[in-house]
Amino acid sequence: MGQEQEHLVNTKVERTLDLVSHLPKEIISVTFENRGTKSARYYDYCVEPQHVNDVGYVGAIVRGKNSGDQTNLPIKQETTDKTKGTIYRIELPNDLRSSQTITLEIEVVHINALRLLPTEIVQHERQLVLYKTNAYYYSKYSTQTQKTIVTLPTDRAESYTQAPKPVAKNEQTITYGPYENVAALTRNEISLHYENNNPFLTVNNMKRWIEVSHWGNIAVEETIEMYHSGAKLKGPFSRLDFQRQQNSYSAVKTFKTSLPAAAKDIYYRDEIGNVSTSSVREMHDQVEIEIRPRFPLYGGWNTYYVLGYNVPSYQYLFNKGNQYVLKMRLIDHVYDDQLLEQVTIKIVLPEYVHNIEFYPSMHDTDIKRLRNEKHYTYLDTIGRSVIVITKRNALFQHIQDFEIHYTFDKIMLLHEPMLIIFSLFGLFCFVIILNRLNFSINHEENNEIRIRIKGIWNQLMEHNIKRTSFYQKLDELLNTFKTNKDLKIYNEQRKKFENELKRIEQNFNNLQTKIKADSVETAEKIAEFQQLDAEQRKITQLLCGNTEKLVNGKIKKQAHGDEEQNLRLKIRDINTRISTILNQY
Amino acid sequence: MTTVNDNSSEYITNSSSSSSAGLKSLITVIILICVCISGFISRLFSIIRFESVIHEFDPWFNYRSTVYMTDNGFYNFLNWFDDLAWYPLGRIVGGTVFPGLMVTSGAIHWFFHMINIPIHIREICVFLAPIFSGLTALATYLLTKELWSKRAGLFAAAFIAIAPGYSSRSVAGSYDNEAIAIFALIFTYYLWIRSIKTGSIFWSSCTALSYFYMVSAWGGYVFIINLIPVHVGFLLLLGRYSLRLYVSYSIFYILGLILSMQIPFVGFQPVRTSEHMIAAGIFILLQAYTFFDYLYNKLRYVRNIETIFFNLSVIISIIVFAIVVLLTYTGYIAPWSGRFYSLWDTSYAAKHIPIIISVSEHQPTTWTSFFFDLHLLICLYPVGAWFCVKDLNDERVFILLYAVFASYFAGVMIRLMLTLTPCVCILAAIALSKTLDYYADAESSEMVSNFDDSVSICDETENDENNQDLDNNAENIDETDDDDQNFLTSNIKIIVVTCIAMMLLLFIVHCTWITATAYSSPSIVLVSYNSDGTRAIVDDYREAYYWLRQNTPEKARIMSWWDYGYQIAGMSNRTVLVDNNTWNNSHIALVGKAMASNETEAYKIMTMLDVDYILVIFGGVIGFSGDDINKFLWMVRIAEGEHPKDIKEKNYFNENKEYRVDKSGSPILFNCLMYKLCYYRFGELYTDSAQPSGFDRTRSVEIGHKNFDLEHVEEAYTSANWIVRIYRVKKLSNRFQAKDALEKSTSSLSEESFEKNHRKGVILNKPHVKKGTKKSIHRT
Repeated sequence: MGQEQEHLVNTKVERTLDLVSHLPKEIISVTFENRGTKSARYYDYCVEPQHVNDVGYVGAIVRGKNSGDQTNLPIKQETTDKTKGTIYRIELPNDLRSSQTITLEIEVVHINALRLLPTEIVQHERQLVLYKTNAYYYSKYSTQTQKTIVTLPTDRAESYTQAPKPVAKNEQTITYGPYENVAALTRNEISLHYENNNPFLTVNNMKRWIEVSHWGNIAVEETIEMYHSGAKLKGPFSRLDFQRQQNSYSAVKTFKTSLPAAAKDIYYRDEIGNVSTSSVREMHDQVEIEIRPRFPLYGGWNTYYVLGYNVPSYQYLFNKGNQYVLKMRLIDHVYDDQLLEQVTIKIVLPEYVHNIEFYPSMHDTDIKRLRNEKHYTYLDTIGRSVIVITKRNALFQHIQDFEIHYTFDKIMLLHEPMLIIFSLFGLFCFVIILNRLNFSINHEENNEIRIRIKGIWNQLMEHNIKRTSFYQKLDELLNTFKTNKDLKIYNEQRKKFENELKRIEQNFNNLQTKIKADSVETAEKIAEFQQLDAEQRKITQLLCGNTEKLVNGKIKKQAHGDEEQNLRLKIRDINTRISTILNQY
Repeated sequence: MTTVNDNSSEYITNSSSSSSAGLKSLITVIILICVCISGFISRLFSIIRFESVIHEFDPWFNYRSTVYMTDNGFYNFLNWFDDLAWYPLGRIVGGTVFPGLMVTSGAIHWFFHMINIPIHIREICVFLAPIFSGLTALATYLLTKELWSKRAGLFAAAFIAIAPGYSSRSVAGSYDNEAIAIFALIFTYYLWIRSIKTGSIFWSSCTALSYFYMVSAWGGYVFIINLIPVHVGFLLLLGRYSLRLYVSYSIFYILGLILSMQIPFVGFQPVRTSEHMIAAGIFILLQAYTFFDYLYNKLRYVRNIETIFFNLSVIISIIVFAIVVLLTYTGYIAPWSGRFYSLWDTSYAAKHIPIIISVSEHQPTTWTSFFFDLHLLICLYPVGAWFCVKDLNDERVFILLYAVFASYFAGVMIRLMLTLTPCVCILAAIALSKTLDYYADAESSEMVSNFDDSVSICDETENDENNQDLDNNAENIDETDDDDQNFLTSNIKIIVVTCIAMMLLLFIVHCTWITATAYSSPSIVLVSYNSDGTRAIVDDYREAYYWLRQNTPEKARIMSWWDYGYQIAGMSNRTVLVDNNTWNNSHIALVGKAMASNETEAYKIMTMLDVDYILVIFGGVIGFSGDDINKFLWMVRIAEGEHPKDIKEKNYFNENKEYRVDKSGSPILFNCLMYKLCYYRFGELYTDSAQPSGFDRTRSVEIGHKNFDLEHVEEAYTSANWIVRIYRVKKLSNRFQAKDALEKSTSSLSEESFEKNHRKGVILNKPHVKKGTKKSIHRT
């Protein structure tokens, strides 16, 4: 703490205190002058001792210059002093030389600063809160002129401190001041008791899971435990009153979450399934989800949900050769005026990634990085590296980018497809080998004989089919012969068929001799079969002879018909006997 | 997808004689894969329409125990004492549950996580039933193949894959014992048929193992352990005894007995209850028969030996029967349980156990639901049975017995349609296959069809040494259509085949439609249709259950009717008094009594039972018929069964003996807790613009008793469509704060009177729900 700092003087301070949401937001526009001799490098912003734990965010920008380039100034939190409070040291963009002035705009967000009074309300009551603050700008330096403008959510204020004068209330705003020449570290507490029905939503635990794939996708999943931190609901909840919409002031029915514009495959669910009450609106720069919890949230009520989506990786993942950079938001928008009490971010990088370096945003100082974890998912062998980061009390102002630098050999992209290919290949090889091994306990010949007999039977069947078809053809031939009486063709054909049949018979003989060694029983059956076959041939020949006679006119039609009927019956009988033999098998 | 299957199975019948064995088995495999896939896909309607979520009531308990098992391990699961159920008694889950379902999905979960696939256990549970119905189709194919032929097997597989009678209990999300049990049932039967065909120890041991799986999965294992002995007994009667039968039954019975006793829930029941005594009796009889058979073979020369043996067998069977009766009488063997009794005497349950009859799936089946669930198959089924009778052998006796018993049981209880369905599919497939053998074949004269039979049999062997002339043959056979030999012209054949194909197509349409409309509703998510035809999801159950989960103390005890017990425990993770495992009738009756009593009486019971919240289902606002007012008479009846002095059913009827909630209703009904909880402040609500306030849309009446206050309970939460209403039981008021309380009550009174002036208006855009829900599920 340099000596020269003491010579700074706040020439003009304008405080705007925004009490509309559940997070009181102060925007302090400070114009100060260096009345010392040496140039100043820092400006110290002080917080009263009783509000030390309330401060969620302090940010400062230089005001009035080119408004386009308003980067946050680096701020360092100094040690806390019990009597003076905490000091935030704001580094000025360039040294403030003697008698120069500069205007800073300091933004301070207070968390948990509102006291609920009463702490419990019934369904139709309005929510009242009490806020205590300093009437003056609390500063290490003396202040020449200052003014505080308080904005309330409604024009209803139960009470507000009327001193120090002048105090003016105009609808939603209360103006304290202007006050002249206030000494350094002056405190004058004022309290405001007013109505605030804006959503008092607080996320007490949020887990953000970012899974990076080199195949072009980044999956984000947020698991959110949320509660209504306003005045607790006392007594019954009546759906009837709620549906009339007259008097459910403090209940939260819906809120909006914005996701990146490229987000797709969005899901919103909880432990027991999909929450069917939500709508998605795609806008050109973001996707807006209107989240409607399963039930309206009253004071003290909790809910829990999981919101997930995919974004294409080309927007966030950049590489040059094997060097990769992942640049995306550490936390994202959950709802307006968000307060995330405990956030855990886990970033899952692909397998075989090394030289991981994590760079948080410049201004994000209070994040904590824990030890890396391992995560196993589809087709993983050595596990993926997970970077774990925690943060407390994240606000809207903390939505900032982080960067992760790592190295990844591109050839490893082929690792997973290869894994599938080789395991399938191995499986097939295994089955092929397994199929060719014999695991039977008794390696006996019986089995082989059985197979051989089976084969013989099969052949027999085949031949039988042929045989019947030839007989049928012969039959047809006879019929045609009967009508056209062309002896030449008939004889030709008949000879052909009979030759064929003879060949088949030969085959039967072969089969019989083959099987004799293995099974006498089968051989006998085949012999029986052959006998039947021979009989059939005989009958067929008879039939042929008869037909020839008929054609030549040697017998009468009537006699021939009877004879034929008779013979055909016999053939049918033979056929059934043959099929019983075959069916026995 | 399904049309493809049936057509291709027809194709195979066409080409059976002309294709090589390799091609044939390839086509068979492709058809079976298609059947499995179509069976799987046709069960996903609920996921496409809604989401991947567990359905109904019992599946929520199964899901919760599966999650418990995957989190805590199998042994902890067996020792799990569930303190969320049956407050203050609790439930020993390991000993009162069939663990097969949980173990199956747990094993799948374990396997996937072993190979680093981080699938959530819920997805496994949701998809388990469709996956197993694919396996059931395979098992049915195998069984039918053993019973008849491969072609019939393909038909049977295609039928079972899509038959509504089976898909009703196996759609995605219906995570219940039946989901895996039907597979186990059919597979056990297949192995049994296989083992009596071969007489091999290997197959009968496999049967016993599969039976063990079935025992671990479902109480319906009793069907197996009775049907198989009956089969054995019938074979003995028919004189079809063989050593194969002896080996397979003896091995199956002993191994199956020992294995089934390893399931904690079954324990010593197989040796101590009447349901299992047929198996034991047949076992003893079979041993005796075998012994006599042995002696008979040795002593064949003795005269009149047959008569002696016949008499001895009769005496032994009488003795065995007498011993069983005696043991039952002396109490060593438990008599038949009430649930089993109600299968024989349908009026038994109505008289003695109202809690069984109150479940709508335990009602007798109407004939329409046979057609509804089986369509074409129910007509083909007797034909198939007739074909089996005509051409009887050992295994066809089995399917006939199965058909007879399953038909009887399906007629008694709507729920047992499930066991009938596979049998119907098999027999219908046999009928169809046999018919198509005649009509769809190119060669159809009697002679050739005989050959064809033999050809199809020998095709099963995989010997393809001499296929060289096959094509030749096919051509030759095609030319054999002789007009004088055939009474069937090809035109008739084409017409018949076309008709059959048309009917099969209609069957597919019917199955798909039934599965999609009737059986694919998760029942925890309802659907209503707005006037412009858009679909609105009514998600009240989950809304309220989730509210309970998030916003009540962790140890809060919820009183509700038993139907919702599993859902509250599963979704809200809170203690319930009674649940769907209705083992303690008096506890349920106590809850019923609390619901049926007036508020003061009910408050006494509720303080006795430490009740913190009461949950009722009320459908009057949107016209949902499965609500507690419609179930209320069952509560009264069950309460009356235990407390006949305090609760009388007739008090809840008006003078005309009607149960009504309008002005003519009975005053006792108007003052009971259930009425008050359902209709609290309902009298101020306009549900229909054309009707006065307090118009109940489920029962289409204006309620009779409006504008009452609650004394001992207060409204804690009511869901968006008022379906679920939750009340908080107030603690006993402190006497010393009487002055304060008086002030408060006066102030609240004045507020209320102030509000009364503003109470007007109707709810905008309220959804309209179709009345009536899924028939077999909604309990009345």
